[in-house]
Amino acid sequence: MPLFLLFYRLMVRPLLREPVRTSLTILAIALGVAVVLAIDLAGGAATGSFRSSLETLAGDNDLEVTASGGIPENVAGALATLPYPIRVAPRIEDYVVIAGTRKSLPLIGLDLVAEGSANAPSESPKLAESRTQGASENVFEHLGDADSVWVGSSAGYKAGDRIELLLNDLVRSYTVRGVYPDSNGNESAIVMDIATAQHALARLGRVDRILLKVPEIPGLEIWQQRLRAVLPAGVEVRPQGAGTNENRRMLAAFRWNLRLLSYISLVVGAFLIYNTISVSVVRRRAEIGIVRALGASRGIILSAFVGEAACFGLAGALIGLPFGRFMATGAVRLMAVTVQSLYVSSRPGSIELSPASVVLALAIGVGVAAASAYSPAREASLVSPAEAMARGRREYDVRVHKLRDFWIALVLGLAAAAASRAPAVAGKPLFGYLAATLLVAASAFAMPALVDALTSLSSQLLGKLFGVEAKLASRSLAASLRRTSVLVGALSTAIAMMTAVGIMVGSFRQTVMIWMGDQLPADLYLRPAGSAAADRHPTVSFGLAEELAKLPGVAAVERLRIYEISFEGMPASLASADLNVQRSHQDSDFFSGRPKEQVLAELRESNAVVVSEPFTYKHHKKAGDSITLSLGETKATFRIADVYYDYSSERGSILMDRKTMLRYLPDPAPSNLAIYISPDAQVEKVRAAIEKAAAGRRVLLFSNRDLRAEAIRIFDRTFAITYALEAVAVVVAVMGIAGALLALVIDRRRELGLLRFLGAATGQVRKLILVEAGLLGLLANLAGIALGFVLSLVLIYVVNKQSFGWTIRFHWPVQILLGALTVVYVATVLAGLYPAQVAVRLNPLEVVHEE
Amino acid sequence: MPILSLQNVSKDYLTDGQPVHALNGLTLNVERGEFVALVGRSGCGKSTLLNLAGAMDFPTSGQVLLDGVSTSSLNDSGLTQLRRAKVGFVFQSFQLLHTLTVFENVELPLLLAGKPRAREAARERLAWVELDGLGDRLPHQLSGGQMQRVAIARALIHSPNILLADEPTGNLDNTTGNVILELLQRLTREQDTATIMATHSLEAASLASTVVRLRDGTIEEITRR
Repeated sequence: MPLFLLFYRLMVRPLLREPVRTSLTILAIALGVAVVLAIDLAGGAATGSFRSSLETLAGDNDLEVTASGGIPENVAGALATLPYPIRVAPRIEDYVVIAGTRKSLPLIGLDLVAEGSANAPSESPKLAESRTQGASENVFEHLGDADSVWVGSSAGYKAGDRIELLLNDLVRSYTVRGVYPDSNGNESAIVMDIATAQHALARLGRVDRILLKVPEIPGLEIWQQRLRAVLPAGVEVRPQGAGTNENRRMLAAFRWNLRLLSYISLVVGAFLIYNTISVSVVRRRAEIGIVRALGASRGIILSAFVGEAACFGLAGALIGLPFGRFMATGAVRLMAVTVQSLYVSSRPGSIELSPASVVLALAIGVGVAAASAYSPAREASLVSPAEAMARGRREYDVRVHKLRDFWIALVLGLAAAAASRAPAVAGKPLFGYLAATLLVAASAFAMPALVDALTSLSSQLLGKLFGVEAKLASRSLAASLRRTSVLVGALSTAIAMMTAVGIMVGSFRQTVMIWMGDQLPADLYLRPAGSAAADRHPTVSFGLAEELAKLPGVAAVERLRIYEISFEGMPASLASADLNVQRSHQDSDFFSGRPKEQVLAELRESNAVVVSEPFTYKHHKKAGDSITLSLGETKATFRIADVYYDYSSERGSILMDRKTMLRYLPDPAPSNLAIYISPDAQVEKVRAAIEKAAAGRRVLLFSNRDLRAEAIRIFDRTFAITYALEAVAVVVAVMGIAGALLALVIDRRRELGLLRFLGAATGQVRKLILVEAGLLGLLANLAGIALGFVLSLVLIYVVNKQSFGWTIRFHWPVQILLGALTVVYVATVLAGLYPAQVAVRLNPLEVVHEE
Repeated sequence: MPILSLQNVSKDYLTDGQPVHALNGLTLNVERGEFVALVGRSGCGKSTLLNLAGAMDFPTSGQVLLDGVSTSSLNDSGLTQLRRAKVGFVFQSFQLLHTLTVFENVELPLLLAGKPRAREAARERLAWVELDGLGDRLPHQLSGGQMQRVAIARALIHSPNILLADEPTGNLDNTTGNVILELLQRLTREQDTATIMATHSLEAASLASTVVRLRDGTIEEITRR
């Protein structure tokens, strides 16, 4: 207890006397903690804990039967007639758009006749409950009606309402027969009888999934074996929810990378805590000597300063908790956009601030603060009492070992180069991150030498250019080398990460734009207006392509069909295209560098495919390898003819000839069409003719330019969250600069007062502090750009490659970087305004005579 | 006309909400070439008088005329200009900037005032205080006496009309202190500057041409030699 009292008097009370500086440090930690917490919570809500409506409404089942392109419905019949007490529930699953509101909802087709049977166990108890939700008549009376649907209560309909639904490219009208409750975390969905759904989606004779409830004995695996034996080769039986787990695995790298990005703010915060505690140690050097002379052990001194940092960390974490919860709402939105665009249809779940999240936030706040304070705290504990009391305050830079640190930086840099060449570990670019961390550490160690060299070189020049204030500012920064180095280190780390991510995203954007120029050779593109996403591919009515191909001015129509499949426990896209359509390409799209025509010729009507670059990295397959795909009822083996560059999705894609696909999956409806216009035809006239031909169908027609613009818009939206994370790190750093400048003013108040005695005007004192802020910003920008460039190479060629498998061509996004760096620089100078004002307000009479 | 004239000057401070009368109706005139020693116990008003004389503070009542200019009539900017032109300060603890060389310390007031040829002037003032050749050293490479000489050179760089020294020998041993006092005496005479020195030391005061004894914010006695 006495020690706590002493801790309060000697450590906490001084912090309270500098409320602005203390608040800035706490706020910097709070922001760091908040960002980590927000990304953790948002990640859980947007990707980790997602269960699509298709799953939440799946009921209590054990196994699911699936097949690429759908399961023949006689399989359900065969399963139901097996001599086992199993419940068989075939389903049609898709998404529809409510025509009036444009809201996208899951569509589930259930065997309502079986549901309605008195003896049948209810697969969807919620639907049965709809009888009590406003339907005046028995819900099962209308099972046979082809226009009957049941809707979740949150959709806002009541029994008897008419509802217009957009399915693929057609709008159909239905009657709401009942409303079921969906308030328990389940999303609203449209439920219809399976026969109605098959008809509406043109999936006659097929179902999308069959859910099975099996007895507990003899166990799931045995049941899987038994059922597999009676199922066609291409049909798979697996535990229910396996698809969700596959998606989760696919999203692991995305979450992992985003989480690590969120730690940047914490790293910056750690620099600032280190600086704060270092300042604290220097300021209290005489006090440390006195307390040591009065009987305090080294351990007490060490604990006192680590404790001081822990106080900052605890206060920061407590503020960061609600702040993080608040930020998570925005983060979920941004992450959900990325997940939808690149991975899988999933509405974000609710954000849950669990006790574990609270503990995580507190541990991060206190842990990072205490860890970053350890070095200066240890230094304080080693102070000799006699020396401290005799010499009082000692300058920082006495203990800076520029040359030694520079050599350490070189060694760390070499270690980073070695780490960047190591392969991924379990699909994660662990060594890539190690390389990035080592580079940040190398930069921190190189900072004193860099700052010393730059300030020495610039001092005279600055004096000539900006007057004596600039010269004084430069000398002051050089004199407090350690403090300056830490501050520049903090800000440059934030700038470096911003630069690195900016270069990576800019390079990626440029690569995608070049790739699109090659991949989108058609003049017009047509797709159904139905609900589309990375894993949803509504289809265009069969026959439309043939109709359009006959129109005058249309040179060719290329049909593309995409299915979502499961390959080796991961989701993937299986696509087919009319490979006989001539496509003009300037460069090869393939790893082999072979001309496109040569590669595609291998695919025509043969069991050969090309796979996308992400596919090869996810499944470790290369050209020449064979892959076995489950297609409909059969399994077929395909040779990989080549690997193509693809930036449309991270899921991994397989492309085959349309004729080959139709052999296995006979549904001829294409997912979208690429329309080539004759060189002598007028695009607008042909477009009008196409729109007329497609009248009555809900389709979206894009020009080549529109489609590219849309793709880039989605791209930019996808990376919005990374920019947001970088911005927070920079804000943390700039706040740190403000706090540190304030400390600098307080520590140098005597010197500033003296300048007033020597004839300095208040404006000159203000200019001095602002020039210091500007110099800090300049040094940080220079160091940050250099480090950022090297980090961007690691991100592009190591982390991205090992995480997602994309080949990105390096590109300097000059405008964006210049804009961002200017904003940071201006913010840094502005951060000096308040400290400068404090400096101006100092009373020289008081401060000059202080000792 | 006296270079410094304090006319019925009073200065009150508030300390913990209680008014403290630091100076109480004090009148004093100082001429060019005069070496004035302010003596008296701690708290008698010596430093307050120096601050008012140096245009660092305003009197609560009365007038401080520096070369005929009333400090009360000026704003902060005007006071700064007045100090730049007419006042030099020497402190007990030297107050050199440790990040600057001797030359840079000495020329600082001229640079702050935006005056040209600062280095030439610094070289000359260092010669006055017999520190030729040490201009490129840093303060921590000098002895206490040398540091105070640098401070004096700095105070004289802009040829002020009045030099204010607050306990200039307080941090020095007797021998070094005497050297500094003789230097101040000589420069006051040679440069025709008025020097006002606050001191506790009777030995230091004995070198002054005028000794002003303060007590409770008023002049108890003025001795002119």
